[in-house]
Amino acid sequence: MSHALVIQEVTKRYVGHLAVDRLSLAVPTGSIYGILGPNGAGKSTTLRMVMNIIARDSGSISVLGADPAVDRAVLRRVGYLPEERGLYKKMSVIDVIVFFGALRGMAEGTAREHGVRWLEKMGLAQWQRARVDTLSKGMQQKVQFITTVVHAPDLLILDEPASGLDPVNQEVLRETILGARDEGRTVVFSTHNMDQAEQLCDSLCIIAQGRKVLDGSLREIRRGHAAHKYRVEFESVTPDAVALMSRVDGATRSGDTWEVDLPTADDVRRALTQLASTSVPVARFEHVRPSLHQIFVEHVGHAEVAARRPETTHA
Amino acid sequence: MRDILLIIKREFQERVASRSFVIGTLLFPLLLIGIFLLPRLVGSGGTVWKLALINEAPAGVGAGFIAALSRTPESRDDNRYRIEPIEGTLAQHRDALAARVQGKDLDGYVVLPADVMARGGMIQFRARKAGSFAVIRDLRTAATRAVQSERLRTAGIEPAAVAALVAPVQVDEARITVRGEERGGALSTFLAAYVVAFLIYLMTTIYGVTVMRSVLEEKTNRIAEVLMSTIRASHLMAGKIIGVGSAAVAQVLIWAVIMAVVVTQSHRLGERFSLPPTVLQALRVDASTGVLLFLFFLLGFLLYASVFATVGASVTSEQEAQSVQFMALIPLIVPLMFLQSILNAPLGPTATTLGIIPFTAPIAMPMRLASTPVPGIEIAISLVLMVVAIAAVSWIAGKVYRIGILSTGKRPTLGELVRWVRTA
Repeated sequence: MSHALVIQEVTKRYVGHLAVDRLSLAVPTGSIYGILGPNGAGKSTTLRMVMNIIARDSGSISVLGADPAVDRAVLRRVGYLPEERGLYKKMSVIDVIVFFGALRGMAEGTAREHGVRWLEKMGLAQWQRARVDTLSKGMQQKVQFITTVVHAPDLLILDEPASGLDPVNQEVLRETILGARDEGRTVVFSTHNMDQAEQLCDSLCIIAQGRKVLDGSLREIRRGHAAHKYRVEFESVTPDAVALMSRVDGATRSGDTWEVDLPTADDVRRALTQLASTSVPVARFEHVRPSLHQIFVEHVGHAEVAARRPETTHA
Repeated sequence: MRDILLIIKREFQERVASRSFVIGTLLFPLLLIGIFLLPRLVGSGGTVWKLALINEAPAGVGAGFIAALSRTPESRDDNRYRIEPIEGTLAQHRDALAARVQGKDLDGYVVLPADVMARGGMIQFRARKAGSFAVIRDLRTAATRAVQSERLRTAGIEPAAVAALVAPVQVDEARITVRGEERGGALSTFLAAYVVAFLIYLMTTIYGVTVMRSVLEEKTNRIAEVLMSTIRASHLMAGKIIGVGSAAVAQVLIWAVIMAVVVTQSHRLGERFSLPPTVLQALRVDASTGVLLFLFFLLGFLLYASVFATVGASVTSEQEAQSVQFMALIPLIVPLMFLQSILNAPLGPTATTLGIIPFTAPIAMPMRLASTPVPGIEIAISLVLMVVAIAAVSWIAGKVYRIGILSTGKRPTLGELVRWVRTA
């Protein structure tokens, strides 16, 4: 499998603390890859090193097959959305888009064409000539997103893309990311929103305090964490039901439902037979799959991580 | 190279399209011309005075008085007089005249009394607006001339012959430059040097600060991160400085064209606003001096733009920038403080020293150039040193920029800045 982005043993130390500690990860080409972690985990620092905005202390990075610190030109094939947003406020919407397109090597005419198409797609067609600072915040975010993708990059790097978006625009973002993947592009994004990652990611990596905690494809990770927990719920909690469940080893009750550990297929079959033989009507019997959130919490703890340090010194 | 051009284009367009650029470009020449013309325009502006004249004086005085007042005025600022001679004495007409003045039929009346030829003779002037200095001056001059002529005539001397004998002598002033003699005296030299120095100071400050703001803007809105990932810091900074600089140059060129028109039309303007012809000639510089002035402006801008870019890259907010930007401007202000001594002795030690130090040269040299021919070798040394200084400062600026632009939070200490320059 080819990889659009490979990070190996990358370390970045700021004065007084280690921001990224021997981090390695590989993003398969054409996939959506999430970098998950609590605030201050080193997500932005990692992405900034990928974009050659800050220098890594050690390790290697390969973006679309080249080291961006050596071959800067490769970054023109990347679309980068920084965590903190901003555009030239006094330029017109279309001019901003054309500027960023041209900066990545597009002919201005082509950039304009693509820009207009994107604006139409995002429902901003009539705002082309408007000055950026006359737009609402949500519209500015969309425009900035267009500046990130207008040059049809092979790799999209989005730092907290959903932050500050309302639900409608989050949906637009989700569709755009999925659309980019369907066109064969690779999308890497950072987030601390597990639900969002769960909806989008093909693969992911969880980092905390600069270190990798876990990575792999979402399916593998889920499978790896698939506990043998089953949930049982009755139509009504009768004394018979309570008596039945009390005979099951390790069943725990919470409200009207019980959770049971059933390690093997035989255990499951036996449990079903038992349930079927009672007079108590069963409402639900299901395999409990761990949510990404649970996996995350299990590995990282309840975000008991040092708050982000202000980035004051880079020397 | 293409990326530098893109940055240049963007900066240029943004500056030129800004409201302040348009207003500044149009307003400044008007302001400058206004400064020259305003005193003339405000100074009364000639009106027509309708005066009655009661002539009790000896024969000849009245006619001379009327003739003197009725001369075509020298400029449009001067008052014109329409004199209505009244037969009879003041005692007969006083009330009637007063009524006519009150009724605005007349502006006033003048009485030439019988004893006007005597020593200490006086004429009377009564008007609604008695305080007009210009009118009183005109009346005094006319009466004096008429009386003097009459006195000469009674003494048997022809007034015209006397006028020829006592005709005053003028000073013809000019300065000697490389091209030989040039019109425009001490006043215009001072004006030229002053205007040029101030203009360069103003432009360098305004556009230098623009560069700083531009750096700061990209830093605060994080565009810098996106730019940094596709373009070299040195290219970005060069593009910014050149882009903002071309806007400044465009503005100066527009002004130059306006000034050229004003100067070539100066005689017409002079006539219209009754200016001494030398005043506007102060604004006339010969081509080689003009090129040198422009060169010093350009290099001065590049030097200070690099300084300001460094400031912009090392601070995190506009407020912080303000305190630092003042410090950066001090070397530019020094020559302005020595303005008088530089102009008095443009080849003296103060002027020479300030003309050679790269940070004061952008102001000091133009002042010297505008007031005197400066030895070529000094100009050359000054230019070379400025180029060296620009290279040095922009190198440092690039380094600080590369790291400073990504730093947010607190302002770096001087020690940190030095370290940035070393490590970047």
